[in-house]
Amino acid sequence: MDGIRFTLNGREVVYDGSAADRLLDVLRDIYRCTSVKCGCKEGECGACSVLMDGVLYNSCCVAMGAVEGASVVTMEGFRETERFHVLEKAFGEVSAVQCGFCIPGMVLAAEALLSRNPHPTEDDIREGLSGNLCRCTGYNAIVNAVSIAAKEGDGLW
Amino acid sequence: MVNGYAPDSLREALELRAKYDVVPYAGGTDLMVENRPGVTYLFLHKIPELRRITVDENYVRIGAAVTFTEALSDERVPQLMKEAVSRIAAPAIRNAGTFGGNLGNGSAKADSVLIEFVADARLRLVSLNGERIVAVEDFYLGRKKLDLHSDELIAEILLPRTGLERYSYQKVGGRNALAISRVSFAGVFSMENGRITNVAAAFGAVADTVLRYRDIEQMLIGKTFEEAKALKADYLKAYAQRMVLTRGRVSAEYRKNVCMNLLNDFLTKFGI
Repeated sequence: MDGIRFTLNGREVVYDGSAADRLLDVLRDIYRCTSVKCGCKEGECGACSVLMDGVLYNSCCVAMGAVEGASVVTMEGFRETERFHVLEKAFGEVSAVQCGFCIPGMVLAAEALLSRNPHPTEDDIREGLSGNLCRCTGYNAIVNAVSIAAKEGDGLW
Repeated sequence: MVNGYAPDSLREALELRAKYDVVPYAGGTDLMVENRPGVTYLFLHKIPELRRITVDENYVRIGAAVTFTEALSDERVPQLMKEAVSRIAAPAIRNAGTFGGNLGNGSAKADSVLIEFVADARLRLVSLNGERIVAVEDFYLGRKKLDLHSDELIAEILLPRTGLERYSYQKVGGRNALAISRVSFAGVFSMENGRITNVAAAFGAVADTVLRYRDIEQMLIGKTFEEAKALKADYLKAYAQRMVLTRGRVSAEYRKNVCMNLLNDFLTKFGI
């Protein structure tokens, strides 16, 4: 049988394993994209967030069969973009990162939000990040960072 | 692919469904939590017929593989459904989760299914032998119990186009986002020429299936405001007697109190 073809961070790959395998496990164990964190395996924490065709998904809740033909972006790919650098700077400026475990998911959720809504209100940001849990920061710094990134990166999204 | 089929057409999907022991996979948000060992999935995301929203004379027809996010940005989807769907989980789950999957999972906590109950929605089920149109309450029989044959797929949810404008919707969860309903309530009200023509009420997450009592609703059908007000105490008593709720994450007593309060609020909202 044919393998599952998809694009991972711009590179064509073919996965020969089971279509029922979790995208999360495949990204970490096969392709070593360890920015994708495993927090809960039930879609409740957002640590494993990835972009598929520009849309935010929890990779723990995606079976490989649903990935065929898609373009998957993890932090390993997103960190090469100009938009990432704006987000990185903003997160750094307001100390929005403590332990860091949630941050790859947070940043991709922010990217998904800003791609759709380049000038979000605070409520929009909180809604956009509502599927991403952070146990360190209390969220305010992260919300603030996304707001700063939206202003600083005006025109990029 | 190994352990999976990803057909491009509904016809092909139905052939695979009839021939093999496969689990239909739409969004995966429930299935991947379960993560059954050795399962073979029938992936439905490539089938155009299941991914579109259409409108006919009477119904908004939502394809089973339409995601909640897609429905939220479609002006044809009734506001009541949007309100319920907008409170499901969080963006990443709404990007994946589908109407068919919410039904197929067979949980009384499914937020879109509550709306289908209160709206008298119908479902189009398809197989190689043809199709069946069934009322959602005849389909959704109990926890994980659905009137779905092993060769059938859910194709569409048929939501009435009119009559859902005046509603009350409440979801009680443990937090704002990523909350599984502890109690959910939807009511739909309409009046014509000074008389009540519809006063549907449905309760989610409190029993094995979504609860709706048409015979109690009948107490108020055809009544004026004044008549309905006079009957309100008896109507509420009838619900209180009928509702036998199960214990879940919260006690049965708590659920019952919340249900009765939400029902009372619904009538009050529409002047009864």
